[in-house]
Amino acid sequence: MGVLKAALWPLQKWNDLVLPIGRFLAVIAIAAMVVAILIQVFFRYVLNNALPWPDEAARFMMLWMTGLIAPDAYRRGGFVAIDMLERALARLAAALLSLFLLAISGLVLAMAVRIGWSEVTGFGGRFDTASLYLPLPDGWFRVPRSWMMASLLVGVTLLLIVNLELILRALLRLAGARNLPPLGRPEDELMAE
Amino acid sequence: MLIWFLPVFLLLLMIGLPVFFGLLAAPGILLWLNGQERDITLLYRNVYNGMDSFPLMAIPFFMLAGELMNKGGITLRLVEFSQALMGHLRGGLAHVNVLSSMLFAGLSGSAVADTSALGSMLIPAMEKQGYSRRFSAAITAASSVIGPIIPPSGIMIIYAYVMGESVAALFLAGIVPGILVGAGLMLVIKVMADRYDFPIATRKQTWGERGQASLKAFFPLLTPVIIMGGILLGIFTPTEAAAVAVAYALFIGLFVLRTLRVGEIPEVLSRAAATSAVVLLLVGAAMAFKTVVSLSHAPETLAAYILSLSDNPLILLFLINLLLFIVGMFLDAGPAIIILGPILGPIFTSLGVDPIHFAIIMSVNLTVGLATPPMGLVLFVASSVSGEKVESIARAILPFLAVEVLVIFLITYIPAISMTIPRLTGFAQ
Amino acid sequence: EAHDAEFMLRATANSNENDEDYDGLVVFKNYVEQASNGRIGVEMFIGTQLCSNGAECMQGVADGSIDVYVSTSGGTSGIFPFVQVLDLPYLMADDRIAEEVLANDSAFTDTMQQMVRDGSGDAIRLMTIGNTGGWRNFANTKRRVETPSDLEGLKIRTVVADLPQELVKALGASPTPIPWPELFTSFQTGVVEGSKNGITDIMGMKFPDAGLQYVTLDGHAYMGALWFMNNARFMEMPEDLRRVVVDGFYQLQQATFASPKRKSIQAYQEFQDGGGDLYVPTPEQKEMFKEAAQPVYEWFQENVDGGAEAFEAMTAAVKTAEERIDASRANELQ
Ligand code: NA
Ligand code: NA
Repeated sequence: MGVLKAALWPLQKWNDLVLPIGRFLAVIAIAAMVVAILIQVFFRYVLNNALPWPDEAARFMMLWMTGLIAPDAYRRGGFVAIDMLERALARLAAALLSLFLLAISGLVLAMAVRIGWSEVTGFGGRFDTASLYLPLPDGWFRVPRSWMMASLLVGVTLLLIVNLELILRALLRLAGARNLPPLGRPEDELMAE
Repeated sequence: MLIWFLPVFLLLLMIGLPVFFGLLAAPGILLWLNGQERDITLLYRNVYNGMDSFPLMAIPFFMLAGELMNKGGITLRLVEFSQALMGHLRGGLAHVNVLSSMLFAGLSGSAVADTSALGSMLIPAMEKQGYSRRFSAAITAASSVIGPIIPPSGIMIIYAYVMGESVAALFLAGIVPGILVGAGLMLVIKVMADRYDFPIATRKQTWGERGQASLKAFFPLLTPVIIMGGILLGIFTPTEAAAVAVAYALFIGLFVLRTLRVGEIPEVLSRAAATSAVVLLLVGAAMAFKTVVSLSHAPETLAAYILSLSDNPLILLFLINLLLFIVGMFLDAGPAIIILGPILGPIFTSLGVDPIHFAIIMSVNLTVGLATPPMGLVLFVASSVSGEKVESIARAILPFLAVEVLVIFLITYIPAISMTIPRLTGFAQ
Repeated sequence: EAHDAEFMLRATANSNENDEDYDGLVVFKNYVEQASNGRIGVEMFIGTQLCSNGAECMQGVADGSIDVYVSTSGGTSGIFPFVQVLDLPYLMADDRIAEEVLANDSAFTDTMQQMVRDGSGDAIRLMTIGNTGGWRNFANTKRRVETPSDLEGLKIRTVVADLPQELVKALGASPTPIPWPELFTSFQTGVVEGSKNGITDIMGMKFPDAGLQYVTLDGHAYMGALWFMNNARFMEMPEDLRRVVVDGFYQLQQATFASPKRKSIQAYQEFQDGGGDLYVPTPEQKEMFKEAAQPVYEWFQENVDGGAEAFEAMTAAVKTAEERIDASRANELQ
C-alpha cells in the first residue's frame, strides 16, 4: 500500500497542476473559435470579402480545445458509460471489474500515444495547413499540419496519465484504502445530446 | 473475423467501458488478433479526422449558446411565458413543462441540456404543487427529447455531417415532428390530469399579464427566428448561425436582460468546452469504428440482408424503426447515427424514401432512445436533477414513451409531416 | 472475388460511383486482376470510408494503409504545392493537348513523378494523371458571364488553397471558402453566388436546383486527377506484376480521359433542359479571360515551392504537344 501511495502522489500532483492549465487554455480556445467565425460572417456578409483563414483557425482551436480539456473531463468521470453492472456487483467484484475496464482503456490510450507520435512526426504532419500563417521576423511562416495533429497526441497522453492515476486509485481501494482525495464532480450538466 | 466487431463492442459497453474506449477497443482488438496492425493506425487517424470538421463546430457553439441562455435567466423567462399561457389548465405545470421544452428547443440543440436546465427549475416546483417526484422527473425527461427535434439540433448536425445532407433542410424538417411530439405529450397529460385530478398552477392570466410575460420572453424567443432566418436569408451558414447564437445570447444576457455577469462567463465557457470535448471525441471514435468496420465489408452484407427481408419499403421501415429503437436503448444517438446512418440511409433512398425524410425518422427515433433505459442519458440527468431513482423514472415515463413511439410511426408513414416545410422553402424536392 | 490474391491492393477514391474516378478504378481492377491471372487483387473503397480528404488519404498512401488513391491537385497541394500547376488557367487549349501533355512519357509527367518521389522521401509514386469531370468552368446564380468584368463582385466558392483564390481575385471576384457539403445550401441562400466546377459535378450535386443557372464554358482548367501509389508496395512486386500495374494505370488513364466526354453530353443536356444558360465565350472573350489571369502565372512561380520548375515543365510540354499535334493534323489534312 505504501508503494502504491508513493506512486500515486506524483501522478496526482501532475494532474492537479496540469489539467487546470489545460482547462484554462481550452476556455480560451472555445472563445477564440466563436470570435474567428464571427469575424468571417462580418467580412463575408458585411464587407463582401471572405477571409481564407477563419474556418481553419477555428478548427485548429476546436481540436486543441478537445485535446486539452477532455483529460479533465475524464478524470471527473465525465465519459459516458453504462455503470449498472458495476453498481450491481459486490464491492470486491466491482473493484476488480473497474480495474479490468481501466486496463482496457489504458491499452487503448497507450496504443494511441504510440501511433499519435508517429503520426505527428510522420508524413501527414509535413502537410501545410491550407491558410494558417504566423508572422516571423523573416516573413510569414506557414503553420504545418503537425501543429494541429499534436492536439490529439497531447490529449491522449494526458488521458493516459489520468488513466494511470485512476488505476492506482482502484488498486488502493482494492487494498482497502479509504478517504482518497476526491477528483471533482463531473459537469453537472453533461449536455451531450 | 471483423464481423465480431459489434458483439464485442456491445459486450464491452454492457460491462461498463466508456463508449469512447469501447468504440476503439472492439475493432482494435479484432484487428490485432487478425494481424492487421497497419489498420490500427487507420483507427487512430480517423478519430482525428472525424473530429477535424467545420460543420461539427456547430455543436460546441450551440452548447455554449444554450449554457449562456440558461445562465442569463432566459430559461426562467421561457417558463414564465409558458405558465402565463397554460398555467391555468388542469395539470398546468405539467403542460408548462412540455411547452417550455418546445420553446427551449428553439434555443438549444440538446435534450440533456433541456432536462437539466428545465428540470432543476420545474421538478421542485411541480413537487411543491403535489405532483409526485417520479412523475415530474418523467415528464421532464420525456419532453426534453423535443430539444434535438426542433432546430437547432446536435443530432441533426451529426447526421448531416456523416451523410452529406443539408443541415438547413434537416433543421426545417424537424419543426413539425417536434411540435407533434409536444402535442402528443400534452394529450397524455390532459387524459391523466382529468383522471387523477392534477392541480392547476395559476389562475387564468389576463391578456395584459400574458402580454407582459411575452414581452419579457421576446428576446429569448427571437433566437430561433434569428438562427433559422439568418440561414434562410443567406446571411450565414448553419455553423456560423451557431456562433451568431452565442453572440446573441451573450448580448441579451449582458446588455438587454442584464441577468448575466461577466464574471460568470469563464465558467460557462469551461463547461461548454468540456461537454463538447466529450461529444467530439465520441464522434471521432464512432467515425473510426465505422471506417474499420467498412474494411470488413460488413455494411454491404448487412444492407443486403435487410433488403432480403422484404421489398416493401413500408414493412422495412417498420423493421428499421424497431431496430433503431433497440439500438437507441443501448447506444447514444450520435454514435448510432454515425455507425448506422451510412448503412441504412442508402437502402431507403434506393427504395424511394426521401433522404431528408429518412434522416428525420432516424433522428427522432434515436432521440427518443435518449429517454429509454439502460443507456438513456436524459433519464440519468433527470435522476440526478430530481434525486429520484432511474428505475422508477423509467417506469413513470412509459405512457409518454408510448405516445412518442406513436409519433415516430406517424412521421414514418406520413412523409408530409417532415417534408412540407423543407419543400415549401425549396430545401427539398 | 480475388481475396486469395498474392497482392491485395486497397484502392480508394473520395467520390462516388457516378464519378470518372470510379470508372477508372473499375477498368484498373478488371485489367490488373485479369492480366495478373488473379495474383493481384484490387479492393475498392469508394467514398470517404477510409479517409475523407487529400491530407488524410495521402498519409495512408505514405504509410501503406492505403495502396492506391486518386486526388485532385487541390487535395495534395498541402504537401506537393507544385501540383497546382494543373489549376493554372488557360494553359492547355483542349482535350487533345491535355492528353498529350499528361501522357506518362511526356516531359511534364516525368518531372511531376520525380518531384512527387523527392517530395515524399520515396514513399509515394505518382502513377498517372487522368481526368475527373472534364474542364473547370465558371458557374453562378446571378447572370451570364461573357467577359471577366461580368464576374466582378460575385462571391465565388473556392477550396481553401492559394491558387484558386488568387485566380478568382485576379478576375475581380471575391473568393469564398465554403465546405463542399454546405455548398448547395449556400447557393440557395446566397451565401455564395458562384463556383468553379465541371458540369458533371454541377449536375451530380443538383446545383441548378439551388439556383446555379449560368455556366460559362471558359474551360479555365483541366481537372487533372492524380493517381498515387505506395512506393514500397509497388516495388515489392516482381517485375512482371509491376508491368501489369503500370499498364493497368495506362488503361485507367485512358478510361478517365474518355469518360467525362461521354458523361458531360447528358449533363449539359439536362442543364439546358432545366432552363440553364450555357454560354460559350468567343475567342476574343477567352483572350480577355486569359489576359486578366496573367498575374496568377507570376504569382505561382514566385510563391509556390517548386512552382517555377513545374510551370516550366508544363509550358514546355504544352509547346511540344502543340507542335506535334499541328504537324500531325497538317499531315492528316493532305
Ligand atoms: Na433544438
Ligand atoms: Na420539459
